[in-house]
Amino acid sequence: MIEKLRSYGIVGVFGLLFVVLAISSPSFLSWQNAANILDQSSILFIMATVLTLCIIAGIFDLSVAATATASAIMTVNAINAFGMVIGIIVGLGFGGVLGLLNGLGIVGTNVNSFIGTLATSFAFRGLGLILCSGGLVSITNKDTAVAMRSAFEGKFLGIKGAVYIALIFSAIVGIFLSRTIWGRNVYAVGGNPQAAYLAGIRTNRILISCYVLSGIGAGIAGVIYVGRYGSGATNAYSDTIAFTAIAAPVVGGVSVFGGSGAIWRGILGILTFALIGNGLNLLGVDTTYQLTALGLLIFAAVAADQVFRRSRG
Amino acid sequence: MNSSTALVRVHELTKTFGATRAVRSVSLSFTEGEIIGLVGENGAGKSTLAKMIAGVYTADSGRIEFAGSEVSFRSPFEALRTGVAMMAQEIMLVPDATVIENVFLGSTPRRGIAPNKSKMRSDFKELLELTKFELDPKAVVSRLRLADQQKVEILRSLSRNAKLIIMDEPSASLTADEVARLHATIRELARRGVTILLISHFLEEVLELTTTTIVMRDGEVVKAGPTKDETIDSLVSGMVGRSLETRYFDNDSAATQQVRFSVEGLTNSALHDISFEIHQGEILGLAGLIGAGRTEIARAIFGADALDSGTVTLEGKKLSVTSPRDAIKQGIYMIPENRKEEGLILEASISENMMLSTLKRYRKAGSLSTRKLGKRAVELAGEVDLRYSKITQSALSLSGGNQQKILFGRAVEVAPKVLIVDEPTRGVDIAAKRAIHETLLDLAKSGMSILFISSEIEEVLGVCDRVLVIHQGKVQVQFTAPFNQKQVVAAFFGQTSGAKHD
Repeated sequence: MIEKLRSYGIVGVFGLLFVVLAISSPSFLSWQNAANILDQSSILFIMATVLTLCIIAGIFDLSVAATATASAIMTVNAINAFGMVIGIIVGLGFGGVLGLLNGLGIVGTNVNSFIGTLATSFAFRGLGLILCSGGLVSITNKDTAVAMRSAFEGKFLGIKGAVYIALIFSAIVGIFLSRTIWGRNVYAVGGNPQAAYLAGIRTNRILISCYVLSGIGAGIAGVIYVGRYGSGATNAYSDTIAFTAIAAPVVGGVSVFGGSGAIWRGILGILTFALIGNGLNLLGVDTTYQLTALGLLIFAAVAADQVFRRSRG
Repeated sequence: MNSSTALVRVHELTKTFGATRAVRSVSLSFTEGEIIGLVGENGAGKSTLAKMIAGVYTADSGRIEFAGSEVSFRSPFEALRTGVAMMAQEIMLVPDATVIENVFLGSTPRRGIAPNKSKMRSDFKELLELTKFELDPKAVVSRLRLADQQKVEILRSLSRNAKLIIMDEPSASLTADEVARLHATIRELARRGVTILLISHFLEEVLELTTTTIVMRDGEVVKAGPTKDETIDSLVSGMVGRSLETRYFDNDSAATQQVRFSVEGLTNSALHDISFEIHQGEILGLAGLIGAGRTEIARAIFGADALDSGTVTLEGKKLSVTSPRDAIKQGIYMIPENRKEEGLILEASISENMMLSTLKRYRKAGSLSTRKLGKRAVELAGEVDLRYSKITQSALSLSGGNQQKILFGRAVEVAPKVLIVDEPTRGVDIAAKRAIHETLLDLAKSGMSILFISSEIEEVLGVCDRVLVIHQGKVQVQFTAPFNQKQVVAAFFGQTSGAKHD
C-alpha cells in the first residue's frame, strides 16, 4: 500500500493538478499553452533524463549545466571552423568527452559523485570561459545561424524542433535502460554495487557509461542553446537548471537510494514543475509562493522515499 | 590427488589485511569432478582463500593455475570468464530485481544488446529441474525469506557453467529437505565433471558429501586428505591445533557467589529462549561461530534490538529496557562490536570520547569545564593503559588498540554494574590485546559483572570464569573453568557429546 502510494502518488498529484488547472483557468487547456509548456521544458527534459539515469545508477552529476555551457561554446567555435554539421557533432562529442573525464576521474579515484561533479562543474565552466576567451562567441556565418535556428526553433505541428529532439533522446535512453542488458546492469549497480561486482558485472564501466551519456545529454542541450541564440555564452545554463533536473526524478518517484525508477518519472517531474509554474501564473499567484510550493513538493517526495525504505526495512 | 588431472593448483598463496596475515603460503590442488570440503574456525582464512581463487581479492604473493595455465584474476568478471564461479557467504543480491534477473546477473543470455528472455526462462527451468528447488522467477528478491534468497545465490553460482564452483556456507539457512536437494545437486554436478569447493561449518555435511577435506587454522592448511579418513573428532582436533593451558592469567577469579544479573527466556527473531546469570565480579564469555547470535544477545540486553519475550533482572529488580539510554540509566553499559562506527566519534578528542555518556557531570555554570574534563580523562587513561601524547588529540590519530582503550575508559567512567564487551580485541596488536585483557580482569575485580563476546577462542577461555556456547540463536552448552578447548570448539558446531550440561 505504502509502496503503491510512493510509486504512483505523483501520477495522482499530477492528474489532480491538471484537472484543477483545467477547471479554474480557461486558457490552460489551449494548444498554445501546452506548446508553451513543452517548449520551455525541452532542456529540462534532456537534463532530467540523464539525471534520472544517474540516480538509478546510484550517482549524481551536478556538472550537467556546466558541461552544457562548455559544449555550447565549443559548438560555436567548431561551427565557425568546420561548418554546421561537423560543428554539431563536435559539440555533442565534447559533452561526451567531459562526461568521460567525470567518469574516469570519479570512478577511478572512488570520490563521492556529488562532490566530484560539483568540483568538475567549476572546472568545466572555467573551460568554457577559456574556450570563448571572454564571455560570448557567436556564429559568424549568418546563413548558418539562420539554418541552426530553423532546425531547433522552427515549429512542426506547432511544437519546436528542440522539443522533438529532447523527447526522442529521452525515449531512446528510456528504452535502452528498460530493454537492454546494459540497462538492467545499471539498475543492478545502483541497487547493490557489491552484489553486481561479485556477479561479474564490470561496475566501473557501467558507471562510466552513465557519466558519458550524461555528458552527451548536456552536449545536446548545448547545441540547442546555439540553435536558439546563434551564440554560446559562459552563462548559457545556470546550475539551478541542474538542481531542478536532480529534483525532477525524485518528485517523479525515483528513489534517491538508486536501483529503481524509470526515465518517464524524470519527465513527469519536470512536467509537474512546469504545471505548478504555468498554472500559478495563469491564476495570478505570486512567484514567491511558487518557489515555496516547489520546495515543499520536493521535500515531500524525498520524505516519502525515506519512509518507504524504512517501512520495508 | 593426481597432479596431471588437476583443474586448479594454487602455489604459496598469501594475503595480508593490515596487521593480520589472513592466508599464509597456502598450496593446494583440486581435481576435476572432486567435491572438496574446507573447514576451520572463524578467521582461519577459508573465505579469504576462496575469494582469491574467485578473483574477489588479489593475492599478495603466490600463483594460481587453472586448467594448466597460470591465471591472475583481477575481478570476479575475469574469474567467471575463465570458469570459476563463487557463491559468497553474505547474501549478495540486487534487492529491487526479480529472482530470474538476479540468477542471471552478470551472465545474462543475450539477443544482440537485449536480454534473451525466453532463453532465461528455459535456463531457469532447467536449473529448477536440476536442483528441485521451488522458486517464483518473477518474485522480487527483497520480499523473499532468507532461505529463498540463499537459493537464488545457489542457482546463480550454478548458472555460470563454471568448471569450479565455490560455495561459502550454502546450507546455512536452508531446511533439512532443501539441504538434501542441494547435496543431490552437488553430487550430480560432480558427476558431470564440475569441481565443487564447499566451505561449511556443518561437519556432518562435509563428512557425508565431500571426497577431500582441507582443514585450515590461522591462515594455514593444517591438513588435506581423503574425507573417508576423517571423523568429526579428527576435524575438530585439526581446527583447534595446539592445546593451550586454559587460563593464561594466573590470578584468581574475582567471581563471588552472589548473582548480580540474570536474563530469562530472551526471544526475538534471532534468539530462542536465552537464559543465563552473571555473578558479581564474574566474567561470562559468549562463544560461538559468527552469526550464531552472540551480538544479538548483547544488543537485546542493551535495548538496541527489541525483544518478543523474556526478562532482564539486575540485583533482584526486573528491568524494562527499551533503548540504550534506558540501559545505561539502569546500570548496563555496552562496548559495541564495531568501535569506529558504533563506538567512537573519531574526530573528537580522547577526553570528549571518554566522557561522551557523562558530559553533564562536567558542567560548570551551564558550560563544560574542559579543565575538569581533561583531568578526569588523564586519570581514566592511566587506568586503561592508554598510550597517547596529548589528551586533546583526536581518537582518529590513535591505533586500533588504543581506540579500543578509550571505550574502556568510557566504561570505567560510566561505572555500570554490568558491562557488555563485544569483540574488543579484533584487529588490535598483541600488546594492546594484553592490556585490554588486564583491564577486563581489573574491572571484574572491582566488582563489575562482565559479559564478554569474542570470536577468538583462546582469549575467551583465557579470561572468562564461565563460557556459554551459542549455536543458532540458542545456548548450546555451558562450560566452567578450567576449560577443555576441544570440547568448546566442538560445541560451536553443535557437537555437545562429552560436554557438561549444567
